[in-house]
Amino acid sequence: MSLKIEHLTGGYTGVPVIKDINLKIKPGEALGLIGLNGAGKSTTIKHILGLLRPQKGSISLNDIPLLMRPTEFKKQVAYIPETPVLYPELTLKEHLELTMLSYGLDENKAWNRAHELLKMFRLDDKLDWLPIHFSKGMRQKVMIVSAFLADTSLLVIDEPFTGLDPLAVANLIDLIKEAIKNQKMVLMTTHVLADAQLAISNYAVLNNGTIEIIGDLAEIRSHYGLAPDDPFDKLYLALNREDNGNA
Amino acid sequence: MRNLAKKRLNENLKQSVKYLTLVFNDFFILALIFLFGALMFWYAQAMKTMPSNLVFYKPLIAVILWLPLLVGRLVTLIQEADMQFLFTQDENMGQYLRPMFNYSLVVPCILEILLAGIIFPFATIKAGYNAAQYVLIVISMLLIKYGMLEVEQKNLYFGSHVSHLATSIIALVVAFLCIYMPLIGFVFTVLWTVFMEPGFNKKPKIFDWRYAVESEKARKDRIYSIFSMFTDVAEKQVTIKRRKYLDFLLPKSLVKENPNLFLYRRSLLRNPEYLNLFVRMTIFAILISWIVQDTWWALGLSALVIFLTVYQLLPMASEFDSNIMYRVYPIVTEKRSKDLIKVLNLALILQWFLISVFWLIVLPINFNLLIAVAVLFIFTMMTNYGYLPYKVNNKNIR
Repeated sequence: MSLKIEHLTGGYTGVPVIKDINLKIKPGEALGLIGLNGAGKSTTIKHILGLLRPQKGSISLNDIPLLMRPTEFKKQVAYIPETPVLYPELTLKEHLELTMLSYGLDENKAWNRAHELLKMFRLDDKLDWLPIHFSKGMRQKVMIVSAFLADTSLLVIDEPFTGLDPLAVANLIDLIKEAIKNQKMVLMTTHVLADAQLAISNYAVLNNGTIEIIGDLAEIRSHYGLAPDDPFDKLYLALNREDNGNA
Repeated sequence: MRNLAKKRLNENLKQSVKYLTLVFNDFFILALIFLFGALMFWYAQAMKTMPSNLVFYKPLIAVILWLPLLVGRLVTLIQEADMQFLFTQDENMGQYLRPMFNYSLVVPCILEILLAGIIFPFATIKAGYNAAQYVLIVISMLLIKYGMLEVEQKNLYFGSHVSHLATSIIALVVAFLCIYMPLIGFVFTVLWTVFMEPGFNKKPKIFDWRYAVESEKARKDRIYSIFSMFTDVAEKQVTIKRRKYLDFLLPKSLVKENPNLFLYRRSLLRNPEYLNLFVRMTIFAILISWIVQDTWWALGLSALVIFLTVYQLLPMASEFDSNIMYRVYPIVTEKRSKDLIKVLNLALILQWFLISVFWLIVLPINFNLLIAVAVLFIFTMMTNYGYLPYKVNNKNIR
């Protein structure tokens, strides 16, 4: 029972963006994926979601291979994209209904959970609106509510904090913590480590399409030769130096 | 700024010409020539028999000459990104708008002069104007359009916005003034245009960027909607309408639904491209049946219209493929053509029903008509269950 990514090489057209990635997340574990822009974080995520076809390697979740049994695989994955993606023709209520239909959720139970989540993100009075007209932060909240409503074993979260108000950030962190406690798996990319480390202790550093180290923040600090009290911005400077060194 | 304006006008002209050549294709031109010929023939005949100097002639001329003034709003070609990149150019917007203003005058002026030319015989012979008076009236009309555009230009700055409706009504009142008192009307229109000149009041002004962007977007949308009746317009942005009043057509319970059915239903009801197409085609079939006044012709043409409706609704099948969440969600796409057929079936039965009801109203009721209604129903079902799945599978959009 885990997410297994083995020797994954992939990218867009022929040219590999990520090279030989190996990751494993077990139930009750969360992993943060960090790196500079263009390091391959989003590409990795797109492979896990089945939006890109791997050039090499395999991805499986709870022993279900993505390539062979895509629908079963996807039923266990919920995704919060970096920029909200909504159906222009659906109301907020219908977005949640579509989630229930797609993931085959029990309507009554799902609505109980949905109302909790909607209340938490102060969306409970907007059920009949078209969220496409919402502000960026509110649209992101719709994505969060839908993803947590799906109640899947893996949550893939791409840079979730931008555009959210501090209250929503705190709520999201609580939800992630709760998911981990409930034996879910979480994979999250972010640049905002100050917020992320409240929920996630393990990180994988992606640079130039390869994983340089997986570990907690102390281990990562020492790997890049940073002092324990150095600010984390220095990590990115170190990655940038390496990047230039390679080029 | 002037150069930017000119560059944009050039691009806009190119784009308009591209679409106009598509709109005015051979068939349409031919149809227009026939229509125009028929209209002119009727006009020439009517001129012979019409009595002179009836009371309503002058108001009629005022309204006819006023109509082209409603066409052609101020073209600004302001884009959303301008809010960011031209943010500091408030004071130079006058320079930018000058060529835009002149460009905006062209189409309405041509239309006005064309129409004025057509009704010239009527105005001089039947309504009793002499040529000089009539020319003065037409010049006044052109000045009114100039003034209307000046109002629109003024609206782009913070201050009181005058709605197009208000401007149009004022224009109609002034048009009447010109018709009954040509000279006073002319003086009035000259004063209007002079007072509205941007140079006339020198108060510092802040450009209302948001309003400018919104109104240009609305203007473009109107133009594209006209083009899109004849051809595909790539630039047209679809704005989804909530249309709560149509929600009663959606199933209340989710029990029998699946994700594709759920999405197609809402897309058909709320995406204006599909619903408008459906309404337009239905009205077209009804009109055409009424015009031909023959059961078999009405049947043939209505069947064609139903077929074309289905044909044009085909892109619905793959509408959501570009939505990442649609592909991330565990939605099974293998049998979605069946879902589309199910949704369209309801719509087509409704279309068949509406056409049949109007047939009963506008066509002579006899046994043939009942046969035609039945045949049209069979044809509708064949299109939906035979042609549609074939096409959807063929396109590999399953």
